[in-house]
Amino acid sequence: ADDKTEEQAQADAQYQPLVPAGPAADPRWSDNSTGTVQLGAGYTSDDNFMFGQYNGLHNDGASLIGNLRWRSAAGGDSWWRASVDDLGLETREGEFTWGMADKLRLELGFDSSLQVRNDSGMTPFRGGSTLRLPDNWSGGASTGDWATLGDALHRFDRELARDKLSASISAALNEQWRLNASLSHEVKQGTGDIGGAFYIDAADGDAALLPLDVDYRTTEAEIGLSYSGSRLHLDGRLDYSGFDNSDDALYWDNPYNTSAGPGGIALAPDNEQYRGRLTGQFILTPEARLQFDGSYALASQDQDYLDWSANPGVLIVEDLPRNSYDGEVAIGTFNGKLLLRPLPRFEIEAFYRARERDYDAPRDGYRYPRGDSANQPASALSVYNTAYDYHSHSGGAEFAYRLPLRSRLSFEYEYEVVRRDNVAVRETEEDRYTLAYRIQPWRNFTARLEAEYADRSASRYRWDQRYYALLDVELINATPDNQRYINHPAFSQYYLSNREQWAGKLDLTWLPADTWNLNLNLSWRDDDYGASDLGVTESEWARAYASASWTPSADLSLSIYAGADSFESDQDGRAFRGGAEKNAFEIYPPLPQASDPSRDWSLAATDTSLTLGANLQWQVSEALALQADYNYVDTEGEQDLADAGAADLAPEDFPAVETRLHHFEAAATWQVNARLALRLDYQYYDYDSNDWSLRNVSVTSLDNVLTLGAQNPDEEIHYLGASAIYRWE
Amino acid sequence: EDGPGCLDCHSPEPDSPVHAIYDNVHGTLEGGGANACTACHGASEVHDRRGKRAAPDVSFGPRWPADLETRNGACVSCHASGDQLLWTGSAHQQEDMACTDCHTLHRASDPILDDRQATAFCGECHSQVRGELRLPSHHPIAEGELACGDCHNPHGSAGDAALRETSINDNCLGCHQEKRGPFLWEHEPVSEDCSLCHRSHGSVHDRLLVARGPALCQQCHSAAFHPSVPYGGESLGGNSGAYVVGKDCLNCHGQVHGSNHPSGARLTR
Repeated sequence: ADDKTEEQAQADAQYQPLVPAGPAADPRWSDNSTGTVQLGAGYTSDDNFMFGQYNGLHNDGASLIGNLRWRSAAGGDSWWRASVDDLGLETREGEFTWGMADKLRLELGFDSSLQVRNDSGMTPFRGGSTLRLPDNWSGGASTGDWATLGDALHRFDRELARDKLSASISAALNEQWRLNASLSHEVKQGTGDIGGAFYIDAADGDAALLPLDVDYRTTEAEIGLSYSGSRLHLDGRLDYSGFDNSDDALYWDNPYNTSAGPGGIALAPDNEQYRGRLTGQFILTPEARLQFDGSYALASQDQDYLDWSANPGVLIVEDLPRNSYDGEVAIGTFNGKLLLRPLPRFEIEAFYRARERDYDAPRDGYRYPRGDSANQPASALSVYNTAYDYHSHSGGAEFAYRLPLRSRLSFEYEYEVVRRDNVAVRETEEDRYTLAYRIQPWRNFTARLEAEYADRSASRYRWDQRYYALLDVELINATPDNQRYINHPAFSQYYLSNREQWAGKLDLTWLPADTWNLNLNLSWRDDDYGASDLGVTESEWARAYASASWTPSADLSLSIYAGADSFESDQDGRAFRGGAEKNAFEIYPPLPQASDPSRDWSLAATDTSLTLGANLQWQVSEALALQADYNYVDTEGEQDLADAGAADLAPEDFPAVETRLHHFEAAATWQVNARLALRLDYQYYDYDSNDWSLRNVSVTSLDNVLTLGAQNPDEEIHYLGASAIYRWE
Repeated sequence: EDGPGCLDCHSPEPDSPVHAIYDNVHGTLEGGGANACTACHGASEVHDRRGKRAAPDVSFGPRWPADLETRNGACVSCHASGDQLLWTGSAHQQEDMACTDCHTLHRASDPILDDRQATAFCGECHSQVRGELRLPSHHPIAEGELACGDCHNPHGSAGDAALRETSINDNCLGCHQEKRGPFLWEHEPVSEDCSLCHRSHGSVHDRLLVARGPALCQQCHSAAFHPSVPYGGESLGGNSGAYVVGKDCLNCHGQVHGSNHPSGARLTR
């Protein structure tokens, strides 16, 4: 009895996370059967692209419900199991696994997914990798001039399907060594969209949104060997990933007659990556262990270049500097930890992380024609491709001490230095301090509090660096010193600039009774870019979430949650003209607009979201199970603008962008007898938005951009499914 | 009697979940039968003799739960490699979570290994992420096409956020290989960190963007041309809307992830 009391006392002294009960089993799949098949039919009330964005139910009408779980009977030396989900939909997936205890495992699988996007837009283009306009196309200077546009427009689906086949094997070579290998092949096909531009002078360009034919293939293979000893565990892998794009380019007829056509875009180049990765753990002593995970990869591509221009009318006097990029980038990563427990209640975690990206690629000057309408420019206007080598190193330590009342106090310090080539800031350094406290004063209540402060300092802002990196020396010499920039000298790119960051989190969990779990989670973060005159100056993110679950028995659980997010950011700019963009070799006075603070403007953006949800799992009786899930999402995005007084600047606030979603799902499963069950599924989906970039914007709303003229989604969808579930022993 | 006598008392009954262990691979441990019980619960000789009056050596609760290290130790003694290799020191381990908080062994199939149920369960604690998964633009996680575990290893990793890969970009490029490059003309934030422009779980803005264009682009671009100009509601009425409607800046600069066109320095081709 004394032993038991002591054990009980020890148990009471230990912190226990107040996690909800584990996930409930899907009532369709019973443990008592070796096989279960679900067959039936579903009906979707209307065509849609939001409800069916990812679930395969984007078309109206009937669809097949087909699901399968099948496994070998228990007790044999070997086992197998098979599953198929969504057999009747384009999101179907399946898997077959065969194994011999823990010695050998083979897996074969297929996985299809489908993404549909807003398909309410139209285009006059026909074709795949070469987009043609109808023969009777009558061009014009602007979209409103195209007399034959109306007849040429047709709807097109924006859908991307992924179909993946995979196989893997895992074999125990002996008690310590295990061999793993996998192979997969994925095809991604469908139609996306991309913007294409035509111009002689970019100040007066034309553009069209184009259907983009997608036909990708990715083959990946991995072989790994793992070792598991008493103190050393290693997992080494070599993998290959090859990406093949069937289309090298997208060409299209130019619908405008202000610039010569056609247009051409180089699509994602074929590329491949070889990588080695080693993950491991070495237990130095019972109180000390070393963990590491590092990789080294070589990614390369040598796709043949397209011509300077798709337009044969463009005058070319100088050939391409080379026929292909033939570029390679080496990516090294390392994450390491040293875990120490010098005292039973005291833990130290020292860590070091590194990431490097080094380019090995030729650097050439590209004397490229602007737009597909201009002739090749002077050689002094050549632009040089640039390598953006990146080196990041961080290290630090966390010290944690377990205190009375099941509490834990920790302090972490991290130092990070990032070095980049050919960007405005050569180096940034950041110190980060995190203080966290967790306490469980009563067995049914846990509180966690975390505060974080980080201070990032940037080396001198070299606003001329990208100018030097990209442009020809002749042009640089012809440009006055104070105009040798691409971004305004007072402008700071937020991810490269000085920043003070404060963040806090509070998490409270309370179990007022064994059947209840209540949680409140608050977090806040403020990023202050106080040293930035122009650019992002501040952002603030506040979040509040609450949830409650009630599980009075194994047969009933009910949970609700609510969350609110608010993200605000402030950014400043200065409207200015002049400099190299307008005429590279004309000497301007020192940019009067650029030094005029009355030309400043500011944008305050606020994004808010409210999410509410409830979930019910109820085994009403031995024969009847009910499930219900409801989600409500309400978002709003605001952009308020202000100016500093320049007469020609009067930016107005954008209208707020709002979205609303109600999504209700319910299922009832009635067990007719030991083998047969009937199931009804119902979903109600109601979504609408009022995005100003779609509202009342037709294909011809803009003179110089042919848009898709897509409309805001406004969907009210009902889905009903009826199926039979048959089980066998 | 040679072997443990677990099954003498724990006989198969409809309401007893104990025997469901034999429907999964754990039922074959140590040759199966009662030896499978002691493989995880320990020899439990006192419990064998005294039944309900004494705890098994390793009990996972709810009655007689052993201390956390003992319970998790029973699992880790076999699951010390693969996904579980870096369990010690992971966020969930530091939160003192037990393996059985998520996993259920006495079933033919563990519900947490079902992607959709796992995602729902993760959301019970990670409530902020659960909310993000329902925002207008999101990865198909709530729909079950992706699972939390596709990107995160709940058993821990050596890097941030328990990502499966060693960096966030490696995680993203595992599915988006067309953006891997290297490109002749790179957009440097793309190769540095995808999360500079995208939120991984969900966003109020299209394509998981952290802000909508052109403001997003103007956070880093202020050239002596259209990026320096403020675009507001007045742009909706005129042709300057070319920079705010449609795909905004991407109406022309469509190759925002990088271009391999010899004339693509401005990411327009």
